[in-house]
Amino acid sequence: MRTEILCRPAASVARITLDEGESITCEVGAMIAMSTSLGVETASRKRGGGGGVLKGLKRMFAGESFFLNHFTAKTNNQSLIIGPSLLGDIVSHKLTGGNLVVQGSSWLASGSDVEIDATWQGFGKAIFSGETMFWVKCSGTGDVLLSSFGAIYEVQVDGAYTVDTGHIVAFEDTLGFSIGKSAGSWLGSFLGGEGLVCKFKGRGKLYCQSHNPPSFGKLLGPLLKAR
Amino acid sequence: MQTEIRHRPAFANIRVQLERGDSLIAESDAMASMSSTVAMRARWAGGFFNALIRRVFGQESMFVNEFSTDSEGEVILTQPFPGDMECIELNGNTVFLQPGAFVACEPGVKLTAGWAGFGSYIGKEGLFRLKASGTGKLWFGAYGGIFTREITGELVVDTGHLVAYEPTLKIHMGMAGGIFSSFFGGEGLVSKIRGEGRVYLQSRSMGGLAAWTNAHLH
Repeated sequence: MRTEILCRPAASVARITLDEGESITCEVGAMIAMSTSLGVETASRKRGGGGGVLKGLKRMFAGESFFLNHFTAKTNNQSLIIGPSLLGDIVSHKLTGGNLVVQGSSWLASGSDVEIDATWQGFGKAIFSGETMFWVKCSGTGDVLLSSFGAIYEVQVDGAYTVDTGHIVAFEDTLGFSIGKSAGSWLGSFLGGEGLVCKFKGRGKLYCQSHNPPSFGKLLGPLLKAR
Repeated sequence: MQTEIRHRPAFANIRVQLERGDSLIAESDAMASMSSTVAMRARWAGGFFNALIRRVFGQESMFVNEFSTDSEGEVILTQPFPGDMECIELNGNTVFLQPGAFVACEPGVKLTAGWAGFGSYIGKEGLFRLKASGTGKLWFGAYGGIFTREITGELVVDTGHLVAYEPTLKIHMGMAGGIFSSFFGGEGLVSKIRGEGRVYLQSRSMGGLAAWTNAHLH
């Protein structure tokens, strides 16, 4: 499986080339174009694996679809182009054993040897992190494709790092985060408009998105007609 | 202090590397992420009175954030809409920013709210605008791409496309053509910018996006 990201960062798509027998699991609706010798299978579970209905339901809570699409190449050199519906960036993360925790709607696709499951990060984070209630946990080996609104940038955290709520895309689970105040005092945090932030600790890779969909929504919303 | 505007023009954001003794002022809620070694402090946006004007008439926050560090660290600053950013160096000169355009500045830049005039208000460009003066770098952003025009005389600009302009320019309200083309040609009211100086314009407008979206809502 080879992955190439095109049209970065404004309207990124991923071109995935599969050889005979290789397969990839994608978010429902992500396919834009594909070669003819690719088999498509829609299921609520991982291809050939466990999970089923329960995992499908958990994924729904994580902001993803109940179903997944599996694309399998019947001959060599089959290509598939996938992309998210909003404008934005895509990055590819290579899993080699560890776990990657992905913000609900940022998971786009992953290789067939990657296990995907929804994970609960606790009440505090569910309510205050500005992200979805459940997160998608990816484990195993292979590529994971992440999408975002805005450009995705990578931060190698060693120690501590602060991310504003709504800007997290994914992080390796050697990192953990807690919700805290952005400035030295609670008053300063809210007066400065940043409010709560996510404080990461540990050592590992963190992906952030440069823009925050709710902030854009807050500007556009008042200009729209009431339905 | 080292700064870089990344991911231009669609999703411009600023990466700032702060050293001990550096400090930077940024718009409320502009911070996307930062090192834990960086401290953030809320301040009045140019004194209480200015902050109040900014809040009441400019629909902006009364506060800005100041970033500094005892060691070193990075701050990523962004804006709410997708688009480009521009960095200019002020050297005793002044530039006017439209509401929402300000992203960040060095501490030597003074921010005050200024009266933009009724021409600006009727042309839907706002009754007040932010005046940036002093010395230091100033960053501002736009929805869409940013392009500049050197005006000698007059330039007609559609409502919602103005980002920043020099104080030697004055904004007047006007119609794009006659009564007919102004109201049926889709251009409506326009701003007529007169004088001599530089103007920064954005290639898209939030009003345009809202109008398009509204037409497609059911």
